[in-house]
Amino acid sequence: MRKKEINKIPARLDFLQSATGLILALFIVGHILFEASILVSDEMMYRVTLMFEGYYFFGERYPGIISFLAAAIGSIFILHAGLAIRKFPASYRDYKTITEHTKRMKHEDSYLWMVQVITGFMMFFIGSVHLYIMFSQPANIGPFASSSRVVDELMGPLYFMLLISVVSHAFIGLYRLALKWGFGEGVDTKKSRARFKILMKSMIALYIIVGLFSLGKYTYIGFHHDFSDGVRYQSKTIVVGEHE
Amino acid sequence: MKVIYTDVLIIGGGLAGLRVATGVKERGHDAVVLTLVPPKRSHSSAAQGGMQASLANSHMGEGDNEDVHFSDTIKGSDWGADQVVSRMFTHCAPKAIRELAHWGVPWSRVQRGARTAVINAKKVTITEKDEAHGLITARDFGGTKKWRTCYTSDGTGHSMLYAMDNKAHEDKVEIHERLEAVSLIHENGRCYGAVARNLMNGELVAYVSKATTIATGGYGRIYSVSTNAIICQGIGQAIALETGVATLGNMEAIQFHPTAIVPVGILTTEGCRGDGGVLLDKDGYRFMPDYEPEKKELASRDVVSRRMTEHMRKGKGVKSRYGDHLWLDITILGREHIEKNLREVKEICENFLGIDPAEEWIPVRPTQHYSMGGIRTKYTGESQTLQGLYSCGEAACWDLHGFNRLGGNSVSETVVAGMLVAEYISDYLDSSQSNISIHTANVEKFLKIEQDKIDALLSKENGEDAYVLRRRMEEIMMEDVGIFRNGEDLQKAVDELQELHKRAKNIEVFRSKSPAANPALVNAYRTQKMIKVALTVALGALLRTESRGAHSREDYPKRDDANWLKRSITTWENEEDTLPTMSYEEINIGEMEMPPGFRGYGKDLTLHNEATPMRQSTVDAIQEELESQGKSRFEIQNALMPFIDKLPKKYQGINARFGENA
Amino acid sequence: MSEEKNRVLTISILRFDPHDSDDFPHMESYEVEEAPGMTLFVVLNEIREHHDNSLKFDFVCRAGICGSCSMLVNGKPTLACRTLTKKLDAHITLAPLPLFELIGDLSIYTGKWMRGLNERLETWIHDKSNELNVDALEERMEPALADEIYELDRCVECGCCVAGCGTIQMRPDFVGAVGLNKVARYHLDPRDKREDEEYYEMIGNEDGVFGCMTLLGCEDVCPKDLPLQSKIAYMRRMMLKTSLKN
Ligand SMILES: Cc1cc2nc3c(=O)[nH]c(=O)nc-3n(C[C@H](O)[C@H](O)[C@H](O)COP(=O)(O)OP(=O)(O)OC[C@H]3O[C@@H](n4cnc5c(N)ncnc54)[C@H](O)[C@@H]3O)c2cc1C
Ligand code: HEM
Ligand code: HEM
Ligand code: SF4
Ligand code: F3S
Ligand code: FES
Repeated sequence: MRKKEINKIPARLDFLQSATGLILALFIVGHILFEASILVSDEMMYRVTLMFEGYYFFGERYPGIISFLAAAIGSIFILHAGLAIRKFPASYRDYKTITEHTKRMKHEDSYLWMVQVITGFMMFFIGSVHLYIMFSQPANIGPFASSSRVVDELMGPLYFMLLISVVSHAFIGLYRLALKWGFGEGVDTKKSRARFKILMKSMIALYIIVGLFSLGKYTYIGFHHDFSDGVRYQSKTIVVGEHE
Repeated sequence: MKVIYTDVLIIGGGLAGLRVATGVKERGHDAVVLTLVPPKRSHSSAAQGGMQASLANSHMGEGDNEDVHFSDTIKGSDWGADQVVSRMFTHCAPKAIRELAHWGVPWSRVQRGARTAVINAKKVTITEKDEAHGLITARDFGGTKKWRTCYTSDGTGHSMLYAMDNKAHEDKVEIHERLEAVSLIHENGRCYGAVARNLMNGELVAYVSKATTIATGGYGRIYSVSTNAIICQGIGQAIALETGVATLGNMEAIQFHPTAIVPVGILTTEGCRGDGGVLLDKDGYRFMPDYEPEKKELASRDVVSRRMTEHMRKGKGVKSRYGDHLWLDITILGREHIEKNLREVKEICENFLGIDPAEEWIPVRPTQHYSMGGIRTKYTGESQTLQGLYSCGEAACWDLHGFNRLGGNSVSETVVAGMLVAEYISDYLDSSQSNISIHTANVEKFLKIEQDKIDALLSKENGEDAYVLRRRMEEIMMEDVGIFRNGEDLQKAVDELQELHKRAKNIEVFRSKSPAANPALVNAYRTQKMIKVALTVALGALLRTESRGAHSREDYPKRDDANWLKRSITTWENEEDTLPTMSYEEINIGEMEMPPGFRGYGKDLTLHNEATPMRQSTVDAIQEELESQGKSRFEIQNALMPFIDKLPKKYQGINARFGENA
Repeated sequence: MSEEKNRVLTISILRFDPHDSDDFPHMESYEVEEAPGMTLFVVLNEIREHHDNSLKFDFVCRAGICGSCSMLVNGKPTLACRTLTKKLDAHITLAPLPLFELIGDLSIYTGKWMRGLNERLETWIHDKSNELNVDALEERMEPALADEIYELDRCVECGCCVAGCGTIQMRPDFVGAVGLNKVARYHLDPRDKREDEEYYEMIGNEDGVFGCMTLLGCEDVCPKDLPLQSKIAYMRRMMLKTSLKN
């Protein structure tokens, strides 16, 4: 049978938007936890860093991997932002329309979408900066290096804002992904949606708390550690040479 | 002045109007539909319960066919119906429902195997045949021998109307919304269309057409409490009446539905009782079996309504600030059944009463529900007296229902009559008879009359308040022309309505003087028309000194076939008259397939006509003779009262039926 | 009769008559004594009969069946006829639904909008091959499927979902939940022989299902509780699938 020619682009764009969002969200779900390794101990954070640098795999450190990862995530990030920007209110008038509509209706899910737009907008700037740093200084990660960045390079406030926005954005995003494509909606969507919503809110709370503690720890180290020997962390157990 | 020409003008976008429109359109004629509201909002959408068609698919419908449907309909009508029309109708109902299935109505289907149902307050198991699986199923409705009422959950009318309107979209029928027909254009006994008022901007438009169809539904809103939509105000009947030429038939035949909720009068479907719900009095006692041991809650509507009223008069009603009421108990059907099959009922109870019908009883009482009367037509749907004017659906008195219509026969009538009338109109348009020649000056004359009336209403000073007159009319109808009627009250009603009619000539539209969208102006001219319609009902009821079907006279409790086996015909001969003119049309027993008999409710009080036994013996003789010759039921029927030739060719075929010819 | 005192309701209505060149949108307030079982249908008629006979609004069935009386009640789109006043505060604000053409006051022209939508989506059974024989048995259908189709067919075209959707407020060409639900209804119906590709042409774009931003206002305001969230997701999957076939 001859099929009609259809324009497949809209379907692809929508799918890509969701797929990139999903990848980013899953990445963040892991990322915040990896960052939180600092809460266990400096050593733990160091080992996690080593892991990402491929140490346990190659027996040497390859910070280039981090650069590569940052570039990859960065591309997905840009792709996602580019796709999502289509959904932004196109003008101030549109923006007014939707905010007034949302307020008048006092409607939670519409409000969540507004949060999505605003946090996305914020990340557009802060996230890019962060990613660029990770891309350009891949070797500068570790319990002390990171802490120094947080305090001495004044990244702390930025991270705070980034944390709040990315965690909200990611979990609201995941919640919306489920509803959008009908994942696990069950027979009673009212019920499944209410459950997803509770899950989403609890995850946001949990992740923000964890993130704040990590950030606190980095800040604490940043203020109390003596950086006169540089920002390198010296492990008592693992001694590695750096691959240049 | 704006004039629009078309082949067929259809006033009314309910089921009946839309079916005519698609029918004539498919025969190649242009059609314009005028409607007060978007067609999908027409009152047809409120029909919850179902549509009768003798498909015989479900177990409880086995053995059903046109003959049984016909006999139920005639009994239901208390022998007031036109038997030829009833035959045409029962023959075509299966076709209409199949057509609707084809156009998208999902219709609830037979599920093979056993299921429990509630019959007579007891749980029983019904087993559906394997071979019937997936065919259209049916439920029980009052006054029927078989389960024949096909349905889509409890949104039958809604799903039918949506399918019909979508079909009209597909056929590119022109639909003019918020245009109200306010008078008919006619000259020398010929109808040429209508003058309509645009309810959004007030503009008057003349529609000139070869054939004009009134499908405006019923006139229930002349009563203060009615299950009808608030647009069912009888304007269609009024504009026909105002021609002085077209006639109305059986206007006094008004049906009261047993179970509308108190106080707002919103209907809970007969399906509640059909599916097993029961009526209880203030003591929680089920009283219907005492009155009607056989059919109980499922006796014909008029009967149940009267029994309920009787029972309340005995002091068994539940007292409330809105007057007495009784209880409808559907809790025994179980939550699952209610949430699936009686969902609208559940929504209505929740939203308007704040109760859960799966747990609590519903307060109900009989309420005005259906207008059997309407524009009197021939079997073709054409007015008997005004050429080129057609009518069908609840607006008409085609005379399928006589003095009481069966539940489920009405949406069925709309589509059957619609499909037939569309063919008759098309035949008429294809003939030279339909050619029209009317001078534009005359069309403009009709426009001007309407414009003058509106100007007068808007410029009048020190006049009457239309709302006051209308509320009074509604009360009079409710109190004096209700379920039980008597000469004294009816006389009082006629006198006072006549007075209101005179006062209505003096209506002033207070404050709100806009000639455009102006609800006060609309109310003013509609009130004038509604009072005339109310008068036809009250006068018809006063003069009919017998009880037949829904028309129940306390002072004349007997059905009087000797003097009253006839149709009431009403006209309004002169604009200046303050009362309509009544005349009567004999119903010929000698041509009946089913001569008058006993309906089977209460005591037989019928005063029989002397022609009845004669016709009965003729019928019996023919039947016996042909049966002994082994003739088919179709041949026997044809010998008794031929009707097939009257149908359009394409609808003459024999219906395939599960278990018969299929 | 001894009764507790009824509340006095203050009804503020956004009024505007577009046919009156001197008029502009403004709020007007009326006081009405509450009665038991009172709905906004009763309230508005009382206002019209006793306070201001020029007030425009639409009721037809007054039973929550026909979808005529949708309006913003305290900012939320809903059917006025079945809104009991006892469920609301004593101060009630009424406004016409946005987006639809205004006829006057609370009266809007939903009919025209919906007709446009139905024509755009061709909401009727498409079946060129099958000529109906009115004398023959009807085609069979699975009972569960018939129920499922009816479930979607219950839409009353009230427009609440349209007024409740932020997306369509910004992008008026978006079909809205009512449209997507209708497409889902025909997509489900075996009697409609349209190919997935034909549906894709209608709604496989930014004005169609891919334009929906899952705000779910539609789902939350639909007075008929239609499964809009679920059916929009379903159409999204179906349309994605169609784009993946070759
Ligand atoms: C609550 C309720 C439940 C019912 N349930 C059932 C049931 O289960 N089974 C059954 O068989 N029957 C039922 N009925 C009866 C049945 O619904 C109606 O008799 C039938 O739908 C009437 O259809 P119609 O097309 O004749 O008129 P309607 O559907 O009433 O349509 C009338 C049309 O005329 C238009 N109109 C009116 N006046 C004018 C004018 N002056 N100018 C222009 N247009 C005008 C209106 O806009 C409307 O489009 C029920 C009735 C009620 C009240
Ligand atoms: C420049 C940065 C970003 C911008 C501007 C942005 C913007 C948006 C917007 C506007 C949406 C809503 C789209 C819609 O509802 O149709 C969205 C969805 C989403 N975003 Fe982002 N986002 C950004 C970064 C991120 C990041 C870092 C993550 C991961 C944590 C993420 C995860 C998601 C997810 C999961 C969705 C839901 C996907 C969907 O609805 O299809 N986004 N984003
Ligand atoms: C591969 C890319 C990434 C790498 C390698 C990376 C690495 C890091 C590191 C090492 C830290 C600790 C602080 C520091 O060293 O400066 C950090 C913190 C943080 N990153 Fe990233 N990041 C990446 C991408 C992202 C993205 C895309 C986002 C969100 C848009 C993000 C959000 C954050 C936040 C919010 C913090 C603060 C964490 C906290 O409060 O616990 N990161 N990241
Ligand atoms: S989907 Fe619901 S809200 Fe939307 S028009 Fe239909 S009934 Fe109204
Ligand atoms: S509110 Fe609008 S954006 Fe989609 S989910 Fe409903 S149509
Ligand atoms: S008037 Fe029909 S839904 Fe409100």
